[in-house]
Amino acid sequence: MKQLHILLFFISLFFNVVANSQQKIDTVTFKESYGLRIGADILKPGISLFDNKNKGIELTGDVRFYKNYYAAVELGFENKTSTEEYLNFTTKGSFVKVGINYNAYQNWKGMANEIFVGARYGFSFFNQTLNNYIPNIKGTYFTTNQIASGTEFKDLNAHWIEFVAGMKVETLKNLYLGTQISVKKMISTKEPSNFKNLYAPGFNRIYLNNMGIGFNYTISYLIPIIRKNN
Amino acid sequence: MKKFILLIILTILAISSCEKDDICLENTTPMLIIRFNDTDNPTEKKAVNSLTVWAVGKDSLYTNKSLDSIVLPLNLNENNTIFKFRSDEIIDEIDVTYDRKDIFISRSCGFITTFENLQFSSSTNWIKGYSINNTIIENETATHITIFH
Repeated sequence: MKQLHILLFFISLFFNVVANSQQKIDTVTFKESYGLRIGADILKPGISLFDNKNKGIELTGDVRFYKNYYAAVELGFENKTSTEEYLNFTTKGSFVKVGINYNAYQNWKGMANEIFVGARYGFSFFNQTLNNYIPNIKGTYFTTNQIASGTEFKDLNAHWIEFVAGMKVETLKNLYLGTQISVKKMISTKEPSNFKNLYAPGFNRIYLNNMGIGFNYTISYLIPIIRKNN
Repeated sequence: MKKFILLIILTILAISSCEKDDICLENTTPMLIIRFNDTDNPTEKKAVNSLTVWAVGKDSLYTNKSLDSIVLPLNLNENNTIFKFRSDEIIDEIDVTYDRKDIFISRSCGFITTFENLQFSSSTNWIKGYSINNTIIENETATHITIFH
């Protein structure tokens, strides 16, 4: 079979005109891998090395289920201390995001790179600890002391949607490097009393209009399950 | 491909530059508003002659001013603040007592302190009397204490 294909290939080179007029003969079939691709974000552990107030891991997975469509999942854990002008707090918790990607990249035969867009539903559950704060005052007549609050707000959660775009490049056989940005919109959060969720694991900083952005850089491995003619 | 990367970079820049919530536009910790009224005609404002105000152990907040209302900061590290009010070289001592309550406002403003159970006492040299209009200091929209002289 393979020899026949190679033969056909060379024949088609010599009889270019003939091949063009009879395209069906020239069709070389490449098998495409369908399988489970699992990976990890290397950005979060990388940041952890330099910033011990910002720890986190994120694992990714996706499955190609139909032509250019992939079911995708991201899950992880974060322990991040954020410092604002008048306060300092720590967010600790887990997140999971599920959704689909659509590969908009037209690969050459035999290649399996992706430039994709997609959507996710995200959910995270976490605790916030208000470490300390300074009451915000006008002027400097009285000096205010920093208040070491240490109040922990437990069992908080957040739901959101994300639009993602990114790319994955097969660098070695079945080994992919990928990058992805996401724009997020919060749907609902369980807020602490007399404080606010200013950061949520997986969502990152919650901006005033309940928007957020995210970025990851992943290494992933495709475990081929079936190989299919395209 | 290059266009795509450019698009990603532009999107990140566009979103990350929209940090409007980094500027505190809401209220800060409210201050105590005191109004001076005429003791003979309690509904009428009456300016104090050459008023000097300071908190004990601090610099003056007002110096030789003729005013019918003043705004005073309260000490957030204590549950009371003692002020001295001097008018025409006569000094009265004012003791303001309160409970403090910290309220979260926003990321950029953080917490502000509000005051409850406001109590007020004063010596009566040039000050003839006072009334507490509001025992809660949450904002600076209305008078909290009226002093009659």
